[in-house]
Amino acid sequence: MNQESEKIYDPKTQSSLKNALASVQLTIFLMSLTALTVLIGAWCPQESASGKEKVIEQFGADTAKLLTQFGITDIYHSPFFLSLIAMLTVNMIACSFLRVFPRIKLLQKPLPFLSGKDIGKLPINTSVELKGNDQSALTALAVRLSARGFKVATSGDKLLAEYGRFGRLAATVTHIGLLTLLVGVTITSWTGFSGFQPVLLNSHLDFSQSEHSKLWVGKLPTWTVRVDATHREDYPTGEPKQWFSKLTVLDTQGKEIKTQEISVNNPLSYDGVDIYQSSWGLDHIFLNFNGKEKRLDLQPMGKLYAAFLPLDQNSVMIFSVRADGIIKVFAKRPDWEAPRQLGEITKDKPAKLGPVTISLIRVMPVTGLQYKCDPGLPITYVAFAFIIVGVLMAAIPHRHVWVSLETGSKKEGATGNENKTDDMAPSKILYFGGRSVKAKVGFERLIKTLESQMASEFGIPKVEISEAQPTEKLNAGHTNESSAQKKKEHVLAGSSADSNAKDAQGDS
Amino acid sequence: MSEMQMALTNTAGITSVMSFWVFVASNGFKNRKDLLVKIGSWTLTLAFVAVTAAIITRGIDAQRFPLANLYESLLWFAWATMGAYLALAKAYGVRQLGWLASLTALLMFLYGSWLPQSQHDIQPLVPALVSYWRWIHVPPLIISYALFFLGGLSGFIQLYQAGRIASLITAAATVSLAILAVVLGTFTSVETAWLQILFAGASLVGMIISFKLLRRIDKNRGDSKLAETYDDVSYRCIAIGMPALTFGIITGGLWANHAWGTYWSWDPKESMALVTWLSYAAYIHLRVHRECSAEKLALVSIVGLLLTLMTYLGFNSLGLGGLHSYGNFK
Ligand code: HEM
Repeated sequence: MNQESEKIYDPKTQSSLKNALASVQLTIFLMSLTALTVLIGAWCPQESASGKEKVIEQFGADTAKLLTQFGITDIYHSPFFLSLIAMLTVNMIACSFLRVFPRIKLLQKPLPFLSGKDIGKLPINTSVELKGNDQSALTALAVRLSARGFKVATSGDKLLAEYGRFGRLAATVTHIGLLTLLVGVTITSWTGFSGFQPVLLNSHLDFSQSEHSKLWVGKLPTWTVRVDATHREDYPTGEPKQWFSKLTVLDTQGKEIKTQEISVNNPLSYDGVDIYQSSWGLDHIFLNFNGKEKRLDLQPMGKLYAAFLPLDQNSVMIFSVRADGIIKVFAKRPDWEAPRQLGEITKDKPAKLGPVTISLIRVMPVTGLQYKCDPGLPITYVAFAFIIVGVLMAAIPHRHVWVSLETGSKKEGATGNENKTDDMAPSKILYFGGRSVKAKVGFERLIKTLESQMASEFGIPKVEISEAQPTEKLNAGHTNESSAQKKKEHVLAGSSADSNAKDAQGDS
Repeated sequence: MSEMQMALTNTAGITSVMSFWVFVASNGFKNRKDLLVKIGSWTLTLAFVAVTAAIITRGIDAQRFPLANLYESLLWFAWATMGAYLALAKAYGVRQLGWLASLTALLMFLYGSWLPQSQHDIQPLVPALVSYWRWIHVPPLIISYALFFLGGLSGFIQLYQAGRIASLITAAATVSLAILAVVLGTFTSVETAWLQILFAGASLVGMIISFKLLRRIDKNRGDSKLAETYDDVSYRCIAIGMPALTFGIITGGLWANHAWGTYWSWDPKESMALVTWLSYAAYIHLRVHRECSAEKLALVSIVGLLLTLMTYLGFNSLGLGGLHSYGNFK
């Protein structure tokens, strides 16, 4: 089957272990298994992302325990998944060195020009009988092919045109990218760290609570970050639009090194560590009750924050705080249907509730800072670039067109047999054909277009494109699966004239 | 929603319904075929223009890039499906795909129009979405989903043209059940666990049976030349969808890294996109390896369609969420 690859890599001559490691069946099997594993991971909440409680909430304690036992609740760190990735890596390295990279060499090998007879054996071919003894048809065809992006080479009355040669490097580029990605990710996981810390206004972020992998050779920074200011910007509707925090980096002596305001999508970077604005809230308020200071912790309630101050057994005072610091005071008693508003407090306006005056000392915001140090990142980004370029290249069809201008009656051509009336004087015939294993239909249409253009300008029109003939015989073993693709391949493989061109033909 | 935008969206919806029926009729009336296909293509072109204008109008109304919630993404999906079909029809002259492309677009319109009003209204963006990354990251994904849909639909026609009728019917029933699960999950309060089972169970059983049924060939149906064409069209869709998906996933990673400091966090939707990516990587390798018949590859492209459906609409509607708001609305 795989005629071309055998030229480079012949499984029969390799040891069976190497053979198995470099098999594409194994690749497909491993990929499917990886996909299935990730699918399960997507379905089951992961402890590392959403915590154990989420799993228990979703499935109940018993099922959750079972899932944990099987490693499904932390599937991406399970030995099973990691060994799957390891096997894919080995498989990819084996394939890359045995099958993929050697192809680069083949690209340098020139293909031969073909005669009309051999052109007739190509999967898509045609011929046009020219009116006169017309060399200009060949030139016109060359011009048309170059206009469509083909690189054209001529030799006497023969022409060979190639399109999308660098598309052949798709596999190489993608796989180099994937291997590079693994390198980048490994470097990060061995030397990087990350974490999240809610920090109050005027407090400090340090890195003592960082998370990193078990296999770790990195070190944590000694500098810290102070939150100098933090606020939230809202839409007119009260929905949050953006969060801001002004941060200052301090060295071990407390000297200020760098100050910057961060917001979501706009982090601070220092010494290889990036600090991100990832959440925002109000933490507590300090109120003054007739001269007595009291701290009340806030809880998020929809767009607002609320603090509760029990007054006695039944009644409770509720302070509802807006992000801009305006506080509404309510009271709630069981015999009231809804809380009743008692007053409003702002920074400069205390509320008088009977004998009690309540004034606001301060609202304490808390900013959620996410940080990370990712030393493998540049390598990972390079890998991303390779992968994107590689898969883009895989969409480029690699095409060849051969042309030969020959003297003779059409009967001798491999394709023509319908032209009985034409055996009088020998005339010039333009044979052309080619192959494109990807995007075949487009290629057929291209050849058809060229054919009709040639015929109308230089010759007598001929209607159909013929396919290379002996398909049934060769395909006998595969009656159940009428894969057209397969047929063509057998035809190609069977044609001896094409054997030179064959090794260049790996881009199905 | 402004009146202009409403009118344009309705025009797009109605014309896609019309083009669907014209394309269907073109398969029925053999002697009027060319004319009907032409009318169908023009109607679909009109729908395409209308939805393009609707998206632009919405962007102007909202004063932002109009791709921020599920409803808007559905408009984009319909846009990409129609656009890709028109391009394919021009390049390959494929006609039978026409009614399937129209059907897909109109189902997306219907689905979109049934969504709650809050989805249709233009709403402010949450902080996480205020970024130029949004229009770099999301459109390629939606476009890749649309291309994968067309790839799978071409797979259906390939099966038909190769005379694999039994397999085709099973696969079509499978996809229908999956769609049913998504629709029930979106618009009813049926327990999502059951719908998950319906989606996954139907897909698994249905596709296994479809593979088994490939052996049954109806020799009187189909046309091997067209089977070959649709095999190629399906591959084209996937070969172009794959870089789009790759670009979308990677730019999503870049965005996440930019915003939260990690390019990959195994968020369910993220993971699901990776599953889809891996499955199409497997498809590409099956192709390159050339040991798989065109019919098997057609079924693999339909498996891909199911995974794409799961990634795009299934995850949110079947209660598996994640933080991707454009698929989320409950
Ligand atoms: C993990 C193990 C993998 C192995 C062992 C592997 C192996 C191979 C082999 C043997 C080829 C054929 C090369 C040729 O004939 O020129 C190939 C092609 C290719 N692979 Fe992989 N591959 C792997 C993973 C991936 C992944 C994850 C992707 C991501 C999309 C990928 C993308 C490609 C592309 C784009 C091609 C070129 C296809 C074409 O020319 O149309 N590979 N791979």
